[in-house]
Amino acid sequence: MATTPFAPLLQSIIRHRGVTGVLLVGEDDGLVVDSVLQVGVNGAAFAALTASLYRKARRSAEAAGLGRTGYFELDAVDGRVLAAGKNELVFIVVAEARINVGLLRVELLKAVERLP
Amino acid sequence: MADDIRALSEALAVDPSSVAFVALAEALRKRGDLDVAARVAAKGVERHPSLVDGHDVRARIALDRQALDEAAASWESVLRLVPDHRDAQKGLGFICFQQGRFAEAAAYLAAVAEQDPDDASVAAALDTVRAAAMAGPRSSAAVTAPVADERERSTTMIPAVEEPAPITASGVAPFARRATWSRADAAILFDDLLTDVPGAAMHLDEAGLVLAGRYLTEDGRDLAAEVGAQLSGVSDEATRAMRHFGFGAWTQIVFETEVASVAMAPVGQGLTLVAAARTVPLGFLRRLLDRAADRIRAWVGE
Repeated sequence: MATTPFAPLLQSIIRHRGVTGVLLVGEDDGLVVDSVLQVGVNGAAFAALTASLYRKARRSAEAAGLGRTGYFELDAVDGRVLAAGKNELVFIVVAEARINVGLLRVELLKAVERLP
Repeated sequence: MADDIRALSEALAVDPSSVAFVALAEALRKRGDLDVAARVAAKGVERHPSLVDGHDVRARIALDRQALDEAAASWESVLRLVPDHRDAQKGLGFICFQQGRFAEAAAYLAAVAEQDPDDASVAAALDTVRAAAMAGPRSSAAVTAPVADERERSTTMIPAVEEPAPITASGVAPFARRATWSRADAAILFDDLLTDVPGAAMHLDEAGLVLAGRYLTEDGRDLAAEVGAQLSGVSDEATRAMRHFGFGAWTQIVFETEVASVAMAPVGQGLTLVAAARTVPLGFLRRLLDRAADRIRAWVGE
């Protein structure tokens, strides 16, 4: 994949311990805009399904009167997915279960702030 | 608020017959100056015995001071002036419920429901009261337990009549041991966990219906069913996604919105969900979710 203007943002997150993939995807279509993935991570699946999940959370929260969704996190037995969006783009972080969530959340929100 | 109180005090000083005492008493009540608020309201009502709002604010101040009989007397005065005054009927329903007079509470709430059949919060409150009536009289300790934040509740002008007394420290443990439970218990199951947290907790069954807990808005409406129905869709989507992620089952979802942080976890066949103001740290919210999940497990006997 050719380098995009988002590469430095992705690189700033992938370097954290336990992170196996970072993707920037379109919120509506779930298509990958840019990504950095470790071998074996199914980027397309994480992109499409996490974007869908994020969109669902955003719409549900709005319908429930909670306003716009910023940060989203899905924890599972063997891994975590973090997401945050801005301007129809969603940053997705795929990580192992045992990561420093607090640190990654801050990094993710910082990265989102730098999105155009 | 201090400026408002000063301005209203000055207005009242200039014209003691002014009805500004209502706004002043209300502002003092909101600030927590209950004794002063009560004096202002009492003096105002003395001057304006036919002013409905005067009796109403006096009732709410009395409620804040835990003076239930005094609050009831003021709301009864309101009803003498305006027989179908909604807030007074709700307030009296709440007080009767607090005092274990379920039939009277139901009668007041039924009158409110008749006026506004579409008000889901009143219908829910009525259900709660009727369920409590069927379950029999509550222990005096539970009925008379002080309300966690009566002042904030009554600032809404709509006393949360659907709220029974909160679970007190001595009242929590029996939940885990109960073989049977009523709907009234269900609504307040998580209340003691939220004493110091501006938030809500609820548990939804596998069909997305509220099994326990509530989601009260500032004006006293219970939106648990609406919020639960919306947010339970997120968990369905997560379950579908997990089939492709290879991460095993999902254990928790957390998201932050403009006004709230929400955390949810699958518990048994259902979903436990907590929401709190953004000021509540996420780590605290997760622990709150854990505690709510433990509570529901104990409650359903898992």
